[in-house]
Amino acid sequence: MKNPALRGFPTSWRHGSAAMLGLGLLAMSSGLAQSADAYLPIVMPITGFMSVEGGSQRNGAVMALEHAPGGKTIDYPVFDTGTSATGAATALDKALSNGKPIAAAVTVFGTEMVAMMPVAAEYKVPLLTISGLAKITESGNPYIFRFLPNDREIKVAHARYVVEKLKKTKIALISDTTAYGQGGFALLQEDFTKLGVKPVYEDSSIAPDTKDMSPLLAKVKASGADAIVVHSVAAPMALIVKQAKAAGITLPIINSSSIVEPTATALFEPAELNGVCAETPSAPETRATPKIKEWADAYKTRFGLEPDGLALGQYDGVMMVLTLIAKGAKTPEDLRAALQKETYEGVAMTYKSNGKGDLSHDAEIVCWDGTSRIPKVVAHYAGADMVLK
Amino acid sequence: MITLLQLVINGLALGAAYALVALGFVFIVNATGAVNFAHGDLVMAGGYVAFGLGALAPIPAIYLLPLVAILMFVLGVALALLAYFPLINRPPSTVFISTLLCGIILQNAFVVLFGPQAHAAPPLLKSGITHIGEIEISIQAMGTMVVAAILIASQYLLFTRTQIGRRLRATAEDRQMAQAVGIPAFALIASTFGLGTALAGIAGALLANQFFVYPTGGIPLSVYAYIAVVIGGWGSIAGAVIGAMIISLFQVVVSAYVSYAAATGLLYMTLLLIFVVRPQGIFGERVQRRA
Repeated sequence: MKNPALRGFPTSWRHGSAAMLGLGLLAMSSGLAQSADAYLPIVMPITGFMSVEGGSQRNGAVMALEHAPGGKTIDYPVFDTGTSATGAATALDKALSNGKPIAAAVTVFGTEMVAMMPVAAEYKVPLLTISGLAKITESGNPYIFRFLPNDREIKVAHARYVVEKLKKTKIALISDTTAYGQGGFALLQEDFTKLGVKPVYEDSSIAPDTKDMSPLLAKVKASGADAIVVHSVAAPMALIVKQAKAAGITLPIINSSSIVEPTATALFEPAELNGVCAETPSAPETRATPKIKEWADAYKTRFGLEPDGLALGQYDGVMMVLTLIAKGAKTPEDLRAALQKETYEGVAMTYKSNGKGDLSHDAEIVCWDGTSRIPKVVAHYAGADMVLK
Repeated sequence: MITLLQLVINGLALGAAYALVALGFVFIVNATGAVNFAHGDLVMAGGYVAFGLGALAPIPAIYLLPLVAILMFVLGVALALLAYFPLINRPPSTVFISTLLCGIILQNAFVVLFGPQAHAAPPLLKSGITHIGEIEISIQAMGTMVVAAILIASQYLLFTRTQIGRRLRATAEDRQMAQAVGIPAFALIASTFGLGTALAGIAGALLANQFFVYPTGGIPLSVYAYIAVVIGGWGSIAGAVIGAMIISLFQVVVSAYVSYAAATGLLYMTLLLIFVVRPQGIFGERVQRRA
């Protein structure tokens, strides 16, 4: 029986992290690829500041690879990028040179993706990613396949929900100083402008280690804003929301997807999340459909954690590839061609390439009602809804 | 005016937590002369201990603080045995590097034991805010200021009014001479590491409620502690407190009038100015050796 006192300790993470200490051994074990039907390495940030997100996407990939259709056996060693561009390029080079890969499931972190792209082109191996960085599928590299909507699309959903559904026009727009924060900030500025709204307050200078948000919140109050829009990594976003609530600020706060991570919502009392919303590619933790519920329950059983959209996106992406392998794709080139033309009905959504390698074009807005850490889906955007002229 | 006053109070509350961090740092500096660059990671270790104990016994952190301090004392002694004593006769930079490496080991240990995500420790007494006139202040921040004030006063009294404090200072000044006159220098040094780490642990337990605890969270705290001690004057307890308050006031008050990035730039410009105008720091003596 599990000790309830240990609920705060993520068992699977401890086990997972301990397993990562043996990455070298795992990497060496890829020699076993000879006996498997296919070799599909996982190259993700298991350590470093993106390790929460990397851990989720790794779990999603592993869950798919453990259930490869058609009785296929897959060899999938895990390589840690260490949340660095050089680490990512080196790890991918090692992973791809260490067998005959048909594809690789790779990092969520855009900076690492940029470093990995030339390696993929050199080896001519498809990379399966959930990185949101728009430019990775806009650079003409034919080996990049993305299973989450790119930031350019999902920020449209973010902005449209604020302006069109909430009817807010006096927006305080905030981001952190990471590449993720800066990229999303610029896209949101662009989208709000297209929607005819000029934010009354803008601040993109929040360092990720900022502790006291009271000066920021004082400036937001003074601006007369009627909504706070945040695009940030998890830690500063959690502090902004928590301290805004503690300061009695009742404005709606509409965040980027980092706050939907179960590890982020665990930092809040449910009441602190009242009136908080976020964009997310999918929200498996809501168990909104029987299919998603079945998957989310299986994920929780397997890893001891609530799932998130990153895990589900990576699961769907890898499962699409495994399905194509089961249908006869034998080489990276077979797979690349199939990924460009096939349609796949995944757990979260239907995946179909737009010709550039973007297969996902759905986004959801979720909100918390203050009674639970599990949000509710309040809006769904897809296809043309996620483009602003 | 109310907003400014509110920000100053918030700045002082954050400064109290930073002062506790700097206090543990200066404690070890005063007794050994060693710069402990694992100090920020030890603060995080205290946060994790509080989080872990809070998960085992969901009670206010004030009841957990003594246990946090004891466990962190043991960790501090272990740090001294591992990173200081083997290098005691080497140049100060060697200890600097060894503590830095211990900090990295701690960061990785946090990932293995607790995962990479942030956690929140229980509040000192309870969550919520209280009012002083029109000023709002969180109960946690008030508690932090009270705990910091008690520990700062205790440390000041220990170093200036007690025999053990004089022995600690004598050991830091000249270990061989201290040993020659019968002071148990090695035991005192080990205890100093233990006490400094216990202070770091208490700071971590207090910070981890409002500002969370996560594996790399100690890195900026080590830098802030070092800056606070440099601004205030190397080895000065009052100076470390003033230095910590200056940092937090830049982060909270100055950043209300300019951007966070500009406030950070201004803080480091001020630091450079202090180096030029008063290199020994605000409360420092004129002749000092800096690590």
